[in-house]
Amino acid sequence: MAKRRPSSAAAFRSRQRRTVLWLAGGPALFALALLVWPVARLLWQGLWGEPLAGLPMDDTGPWWLNAHLQWRVGWTLVQALATCALCLVLGLPMAWVLARLEFTGRVIWQRALMLPFVVPTLVAALGILALWGPRGVLGAPLAQAGWSLEGSPWLLLMGNLFFNLSLVVRAGMDGLAQVSAQRVAVARTLGATSWRAFWRVEWPVVAPWLASALCLVFLYCFTGFGLALVLGGQRWATVEVEIYTLIAHELALAQAASLAVAMLGLTAGMAWAYAWVERQLASSARIIPVMRRPLHGLTAWGGWAFALGGWLLLCGAPLLALLLQAVRAAGFGQGLAVLDEADTWLALHNTLRFTGMALALATALGLLHALAGHAMRRWAPAALAWRASAYAPLVVSPVALAFGLLLLYPQWLSSLPLLVAAYALLAYPFVAKALTAALDTLPEQYAQAAATLGARPGRVLWRVTLPLVAPALRRGMAFAAATMLGEFAVSLLLSRPEWLTLTTLIYQRLGRPGSANLDAALVLSAGLMALALLAFWLIEGRDRPHNDHRRAPHQDSRHA
Amino acid sequence: MLELRHITHHWYGPKGQRQTLLQDVNLRIDAGQTVALLGPSGSGKSTLLKIVAGLETPESGSVWLDGMDISDWPPEKRRLALMFQDFVLFPHLNLQDNVAFGLVEQGTGRSAARERAQALLERFSLGGRGAEAVGTLSGGEQQRVALARALITQPRALLLDEPFSALDAELRVGLREEFARHIAEHGMRAMLVTHDEAEARAMANAAWRLQGGSLISLW
Repeated sequence: MAKRRPSSAAAFRSRQRRTVLWLAGGPALFALALLVWPVARLLWQGLWGEPLAGLPMDDTGPWWLNAHLQWRVGWTLVQALATCALCLVLGLPMAWVLARLEFTGRVIWQRALMLPFVVPTLVAALGILALWGPRGVLGAPLAQAGWSLEGSPWLLLMGNLFFNLSLVVRAGMDGLAQVSAQRVAVARTLGATSWRAFWRVEWPVVAPWLASALCLVFLYCFTGFGLALVLGGQRWATVEVEIYTLIAHELALAQAASLAVAMLGLTAGMAWAYAWVERQLASSARIIPVMRRPLHGLTAWGGWAFALGGWLLLCGAPLLALLLQAVRAAGFGQGLAVLDEADTWLALHNTLRFTGMALALATALGLLHALAGHAMRRWAPAALAWRASAYAPLVVSPVALAFGLLLLYPQWLSSLPLLVAAYALLAYPFVAKALTAALDTLPEQYAQAAATLGARPGRVLWRVTLPLVAPALRRGMAFAAATMLGEFAVSLLLSRPEWLTLTTLIYQRLGRPGSANLDAALVLSAGLMALALLAFWLIEGRDRPHNDHRRAPHQDSRHA
Repeated sequence: MLELRHITHHWYGPKGQRQTLLQDVNLRIDAGQTVALLGPSGSGKSTLLKIVAGLETPESGSVWLDGMDISDWPPEKRRLALMFQDFVLFPHLNLQDNVAFGLVEQGTGRSAARERAQALLERFSLGGRGAEAVGTLSGGEQQRVALARALITQPRALLLDEPFSALDAELRVGLREEFARHIAEHGMRAMLVTHDEAEARAMANAAWRLQGGSLISLW
């Protein structure tokens, strides 16, 4: 008589569910306490909250009744959209040159595209000022010619381009790599010119990749804080800066909350659009990509010169200008004096300490998040939601988050674990996303082979899975470390005098009058940039040839 | 004796449509016997192999090994070595450590495991290459290492999932004879999944075709 065993599959599923719960529990509780709850508290305060007791309330009603705030929201939208348009127009030709042409230095340029993802926001802002500011390398001669960029929206747009152009270039390259050479060849043999083949065959493949990157560009520019604070000035600052001003300087919490709610609504909408576009990015497993051809002919040389020159001017020159100005400030100005100050060493100590503690927490959370996502990969809707939740800390503005934490945990504001946890919250998505991508591309058979050879699940993870995804783990940790070293928005809102970090010290120096303070800020910024690059290089190390389960860094960038 | 009893399993399509993959499948493999499983792509051959290995759980039915119901055993406890068509050597380990992997998992010390791995590699004509990375090997050499890795733990059965399909025709013929010899030397029972009837005839004592979810005896 047949022996039926219908319970076996159910027991297997039950074991899987338990594993997922164990893995997902930590990150879920962490996100609940540090993200969901504070944001919910902020929403409640903005929509229904009573004025907070004990504060001098000078709120003048919701933002849509205030002409100044209306203008801020409008400008924030315009600068984000303008950055998207500029990134598309400039970034696509650059991506094409990198993806389709072979020339000396291409690999170096390609690697340099990663630079803006590692550079802290304040360093970038200082770089823009060092290049385009009134006393900048190019800004000074332009000002003499009557074309001063000071007080114009261009400084902020230049800052936005510095951070986001490379992101669009990388996405364009990824998209162009998905174009099948055979399809282009078929189009050409059917009579399409190279332009027609581009528009009819290549563009439809590239467009979703660009759309995905542009969603991120919009999100970053819309919720950006550091750049707008330093480069926007009074007139061209964005909503995030306004929220910060309302909270920190005017104590108009209800108005700040109503603005933050509007920002959350808009960012949530854009994040949804981003998630939707990302799902369309199907990549064929076996594409024969279009071969790169050598630089030949006027058009190719012209395209190369435009692309490389444009990228160097917008993304390379600000950093070079910053280094130049920092060397000048150290050699001929009063910049070196900052190294003798106790505050500098306190800030350096705190920056390294907070980064180290938060990196350990972020790595643990990211690892658990990625493993949980991998374990639930067969439950399509749950897996999709869980994976999407890794983006949440990246799309909620750090100012709104810090504000929510202020409202929810006023009693813990002087507690270091809250600051470290907030850092880790902003950093763990880098680890989670890098690892998730690596686990997705890791053939299942490695774990299966190990299991059939006698390895238990924990041993499979330790001996096979982790070594194979180690490059991705290191890469995620490197981005996380670079982000935390340059973290600014949360530090500014939650920090206490004894928790001074390099970014808050730079900002303090920028806010004080006199060339000595500017010199100090330049030297500190150069030091912070060196620190971020060093941390990135130390953690990421060299790529191993056996495994390259990686995604483009544009998937892993953030700048507050 | 390795025995499959009344295995039934379904496959769910992208829109959730349910299709029968295996319907009341029964199969017996005696000691020293190699049984081939033939069938077109998507017929469920590899799924059946994974069910035997413990990597998939059937909706109903059971797997028995030497008189014991092992259906609920996890794969690492079954000691049934599975070989894949694309070799699946661990790229972060050298040849010697790849072969020694299973021994270490069974509790053998690392140096003793390496010694035994080295000895086995010599029998597979790869003795001088133990420290090399797997990427330096040809397809045929990789599959030899995969077989050595499977045999070193003295598994209770060998499960071969189209082991030669990634290799060219000439190499395939030579390697299947070599594999058959090694399997016979170890007195191993084996289950070979293939779509190549010539391969099945060269290696197997008995063969079944999996069609419409059921097994049909070929010889």
